[in-house]
Amino acid sequence: MLKFLSPSNVYSFIQSLIKFINSIFFLILLIGLTFALILSPPDFIQGDSVRIMYVHVPSAWIGLLCFSVITILSILNFIFKIKNFYLINKSIAPIGLLFTSLAIITGSLWGQPTWGTWWAWDARLTSMLVLMFFYVLYILCFKFIKTDEATVKWSSIVAIIGSINLPIIKYSVDWWNTLHQPASIKLTGSSSIHSSMLMPLLVMLLVFLLYAALIFLMKYKTEIIRIKKKNIKKT
Amino acid sequence: MISEFLNMNGYGLYVWSSFSIVLISCAVVYLRTRKTLRKYEQEFLKELQSLSQEEQSKAVATSKIAQQILATNTKTN
Repeated sequence: MLKFLSPSNVYSFIQSLIKFINSIFFLILLIGLTFALILSPPDFIQGDSVRIMYVHVPSAWIGLLCFSVITILSILNFIFKIKNFYLINKSIAPIGLLFTSLAIITGSLWGQPTWGTWWAWDARLTSMLVLMFFYVLYILCFKFIKTDEATVKWSSIVAIIGSINLPIIKYSVDWWNTLHQPASIKLTGSSSIHSSMLMPLLVMLLVFLLYAALIFLMKYKTEIIRIKKKNIKKT
Repeated sequence: MISEFLNMNGYGLYVWSSFSIVLISCAVVYLRTRKTLRKYEQEFLKELQSLSQEEQSKAVATSKIAQQILATNTKTN
C-alpha cells in the first residue's frame, strides 16, 4: 500500500530535499534573527526579555509535535507493521528531545527575569520535564533493546503511555493555577499576541521547522544506509 | 548604540544566553548528524568495493541506494 514510501524510492528525494533546505536555511535564519532581535518591539511589561519567546515557543511546539508524530506512527506501526514508521520514529526522537530540552532551558532563562525564579514545580513546567523523560526513555529503547521486534514493541508502549502527557501539557495552564501564562496564540478564536510579535514568531517557527526537517532527513538517510549496508551481501 | 543593543535594557544576559544556547546546540547536533551520515556513506562504499566485480554489479543493479551513493561519491571525487 505504502510502497512508494519505501526507503529505496524516497532516497533520491531525500537527497534533493536536503540540498534545497541547505540552500535556503541561512537566509531564513538571518531574516528570523533580524526580526527577533532587532525589528520586533519590546513588551510593555516584560521589556526585551520577551525576545526569548522567539526561541522558547517554537522549541516547545516542535518538542510536542515530534512526540505527537511518534505516537501516531507507533499506533499505526502496531496495527499495520510498517517498518518504515519505526525508522522514521527513530530519526524523529532525538530532534524532539533536543527541542524539548531547549524549551525547558530557555523557559528557565525567561523565568528568572519575569517570575524571579529559574524553576518552579508548576503544572506546565513539570509536564514538559515529564515529556523530556519520555523522550529519554524512548531513545533508550533503541539503544538497549537488542532485537528489532522487541524495540518496536517497547518503544511503541513508551510512546503511547507518554502521549497521555500531551493534553496535560496543552491544557495545564487552563486546568491549574500556574506561573506559566495561558496560550496567546489560538488556532480557533482570536490570538492575544500583536502582529508585530506574531510575525517574527512565525518566521522563527519556520526556521526551527526547516532545521528539524533537515536533521530528520539526514538521520533517516543514515538509518536507510545502515540497513542497506547490513543487507548488501544478501542482494 | 551597540552596547545598548547588547544590554537589551538589562535583559541582555538572559536573551543572549537563550539564543546562544539554541544556536550552539543546533549547530553541534547538525555537525554530529552530518559526520555520522558521512561515516555510514563511506562504510557502505567500502563494503560495496570489497565485493567481487560480479557481486558489485549485481548490488548496484538491484539497489537504487547503492547507485545513488556510488554516483555521489564519483561526483565528490
